[in-house]
Amino acid sequence: MKGNIFELKNVWKTYCNKGVETHALRGLNLTIKRGAYVAIIGPSGSGKSTLMHVMGCLDTPTKGTVLVDGKDISSLKDDELAKIRREKIGFVFQAYNLIPGLSAIENVAMPMRFSGHGKKESQEKAISLLKKVGLENRMHHKPSELSGGEQQRVAIARSLLNDPEVILADEPTGNLDSKTGREIMDLIEDLHKRTKKTVIIVTHDTKLADRTCNQIRMIDGDIAK
Amino acid sequence: MLDLAIKNLLENRVRTILTALGIIIAITAIVSLGSISTGLNELVTSSTATIGSDVIFVMKEFDFSEMSGPPGSFEIELLSAEEIEDITAISGVERAVPIIADQFGGLFELDGLDLDSVDLFGAEDLSFEEGGWPDNEDKAAAIGYLVARSRGVVVGDYLTFEEEEVEVMGIFEEGSGSYDLVVLIPYEYAEEIYDMEGEAMQLILKPDDISYVQEIKDIINNDMDGLSAMTMEDALAQMEEMTGTLNIMTFGIGFVASLVAAIGIIITMYTSVLERRRQLGIMKAVGALKKTILKQILEEGIILSVVSSVIAILLSFFFVDILNNVLLGGSNLALITPELAIGAVAYGVILTIISSIYPAWIAINTDPIKAIRDG
Repeated sequence: MKGNIFELKNVWKTYCNKGVETHALRGLNLTIKRGAYVAIIGPSGSGKSTLMHVMGCLDTPTKGTVLVDGKDISSLKDDELAKIRREKIGFVFQAYNLIPGLSAIENVAMPMRFSGHGKKESQEKAISLLKKVGLENRMHHKPSELSGGEQQRVAIARSLLNDPEVILADEPTGNLDSKTGREIMDLIEDLHKRTKKTVIIVTHDTKLADRTCNQIRMIDGDIAK
Repeated sequence: MLDLAIKNLLENRVRTILTALGIIIAITAIVSLGSISTGLNELVTSSTATIGSDVIFVMKEFDFSEMSGPPGSFEIELLSAEEIEDITAISGVERAVPIIADQFGGLFELDGLDLDSVDLFGAEDLSFEEGGWPDNEDKAAAIGYLVARSRGVVVGDYLTFEEEEVEVMGIFEEGSGSYDLVVLIPYEYAEEIYDMEGEAMQLILKPDDISYVQEIKDIINNDMDGLSAMTMEDALAQMEEMTGTLNIMTFGIGFVASLVAAIGIIITMYTSVLERRRQLGIMKAVGALKKTILKQILEEGIILSVVSSVIAILLSFFFVDILNNVLLGGSNLALITPELAIGAVAYGVILTIISSIYPAWIAINTDPIKAIRDG
């Protein structure tokens, strides 16, 4: 399938705090092709996290249209957004965001349980994904028993569970030492090459961004010209 | 998703156990108190079956509002020998049986009456576990099963009333309804013990025909000063009113206990949701719908309440056993019926679901972005 996975037109995101308006995104226009490997870079406060939330359907824009895989998400309700997240988007966060009480397998299997699949089926798929990210020997451990790099591998396996169109990674190496960070980036890169999924990495680390095919630089809530 | 709910409950064991304790105490209170009400209701119902509907009870008129103070602090006026004579003379009265009654030990009653007339109360067919009826000339008693058990007496032993030792001649079989609670002695013997001459607390009338009941009742109530007559139906209505009051009190206490439990559940679920804000945010971020989150919170509540309620029912059986054996002298008065047990579990579950609504509402409205960023 060709075409654009994301099309953002004149997107504004405005936060109102005690009567003071802050524009996190200021009329941003952006198109990302299916299968792209892109980095969004910029200093903190430049709006890159807000942009990722909007593209990841965690948030809707105050103004403008956001097409995800051709569907306008700007006026969707919570549950409709959740469905799109579940089906089309895999998240990898800086803080891994695994559920502490659950084992690696249960964490990876969780999104599939949400879409009504049984425990056994979900866990079988989770195990095959955990093997792919090199965690076959650590699958029954809880997050607290895993190293940072291992936790991020679990998160990557989880992001792949529902076979999404896009992997959105927010500072995926931010909490890792440089060697582990490189290993995680190798894994993500390998994933992109093998599956041809769209991979978008949000980072302020230019070294990391240099490894991607395209860089989108953000300043003050818009893309730097 | 039930496995995830159980995991969450086990994650914070202390909190889960404390909440469960709240539910257990409330349900145990309801079931244990309810068992007494149920038992008394059964007793009243079984009395209806034994006593004929064609008898009339006559007493001195009295005002319920004067019945204040501790038991025994007021006295029911006695029917005089002349009044008894007048009533017996009313046409249509076949038999008049005077009764001398005395409450003792809280639940029990001594009745002095013509033992040849016990058929009026459906007592002539009562079976004895030991001994039998005394004659009207004997200075002895036939006593109820519960009286015997609570006083620890067998046939041939003595019970003391007004410093007079009364020999036990017969003990009714267990399950004789209200007869479990009585001591029956001949009228003349009661006269002697209570130092009376032809007087009575109550007079039981048997009309020649059931059709005279209303007429006789009207004559006594309207034409005879200071007297009050009522039928078994009237008496039962009064008893039901009393057990009704007891029911309301029982369930009132249960209601207060369950309010406290409900607040406990709300606090637990609420803090649990706040503590898991990040987890709930992650769940939403990776695609959990609101109903998925709602389902999980409710599942946790239902597991908690079903387990707690079942434990409470088991505990109640234990408490009711103690109640029956220690306080009610080996009786089976307090009764846990299947309806009571099932009703209590259902109540526990409904209580928990209602208490979970607010915490669940907070949970399903967790903002995934905030939860993830702050975590």
